[in-house]
Amino acid sequence: MEGRPPDDAALAERAKHGDERAFEELVRGYQDVAFRTAYLLTGSAADAEEAVQSGFVKAWSALPRFRAGSPFRPWLLRIVVNEAHNRRRAARRRGELAVRASAVSASGDAAPSPEDAVLGRERRLGLLRAVERLSDLDRDVLTCRYFLELSEVETATALSLRRGTVKSRTARALARLRAELGAEVSA
Amino acid sequence: MSLERALVDLGRSLDVPEPVDLLPTVVARLERPPRRRPERRRLAAAVGLAALVALVATLVVPDARSALLRLLSIGGERVVLVDELPEVEPLPRGFDLVLGEEVTLAEARARTGLELARLEGSPDPDRVYLGPRETVWFLWGTPRRVRLLLAQTRELAPGTPPLVEKQVEAGGEVEPVSVDGARGIFLGGSRHVVLLLDAAGEPVEEAVWLARDVLVWERAGTTFRLEGELSRDRALELARAVR
Repeated sequence: MEGRPPDDAALAERAKHGDERAFEELVRGYQDVAFRTAYLLTGSAADAEEAVQSGFVKAWSALPRFRAGSPFRPWLLRIVVNEAHNRRRAARRRGELAVRASAVSASGDAAPSPEDAVLGRERRLGLLRAVERLSDLDRDVLTCRYFLELSEVETATALSLRRGTVKSRTARALARLRAELGAEVSA
Repeated sequence: MSLERALVDLGRSLDVPEPVDLLPTVVARLERPPRRRPERRRLAAAVGLAALVALVATLVVPDARSALLRLLSIGGERVVLVDELPEVEPLPRGFDLVLGEEVTLAEARARTGLELARLEGSPDPDRVYLGPRETVWFLWGTPRRVRLLLAQTRELAPGTPPLVEKQVEAGGEVEPVSVDGARGIFLGGSRHVVLLLDAAGEPVEEAVWLARDVLVWERAGTTFRLEGELSRDRALELARAVR
């Protein structure tokens, strides 16, 4: 996952001591990944923008509690995730995600034929709808681990869970997803 | 293709709108330190300082517009005043899964190497949990109907965040007390929010609850907290029975 400005630890430390310029650098460096995170959790661009804005404002206020040397990205994403959850709860629903029409396989395969591209898109849509039928808890952990490609440790921080809980919840969510898909996708 | 790989592939194919530049809006919303502290906030700070120095009288915090005002730290506990308590949803399974791993007393003793607290004159706790950051929780009652909750936290390493943050609403009472000479505080009469903090000092989302009567004290580097429906005197009586 992209979105890591150089030496963010130093920027965070400077921002912690009130350096607004340093904080602005962090906002520039992380706003895209923060937006992607919030959008995938809420399914709404408007809610995601609001969650990101509030998240950064709260992060600024919380910086005195940021521990020097710890990674900034998961710390920030935790705040953004909380804001996104608040907005999702307030909206009482989550918008549907969509697959890009021109989606290209991430597996690095050669360019697919038009027929294969259509089939690939259909397969992805089927998988996406199955993910969306899962509970919020299952979906959130799969979103962090696979859609955002966060590590287990980063997911644990972002979702305020213990690492072991992330591991077990991911396994359960995958099992439920397999059940949703039936024999469509093999393990 | 494995399911995990298919999910990564799907994630990279999702149609995510192009984000707009939020920097100007964020910068406009940042709170800057005020050049002059408002009168009412100054009053609140003065009262807080008096409490730290005197550690004797009951403190009734005046209403203040301060967003957050740190008041007291005792061992692994930090008490802060806030304008308004955050909304707290009931714990879906009571304290189960919140305090840590449920263990036996013997396991807790073996795994922490601590001399565990015991409440003289009372039966053994109904449940024992081994929580993060070397905290042992003793629960009397059930996770959904707690009669008494006692926590024992080993001295935290210097510079590490506290284990618990208590948010007390302006107007709440925070009374400095002495437990057989050990420094303590009693929070009673009004509800306050308890947040368990992780090693980074961030609240653990699933470990936030409302409490009413709590006594916290520190003895020989160990922090104890006692929670239940307790009068100040009853809480002090129980605290003195902790061995």
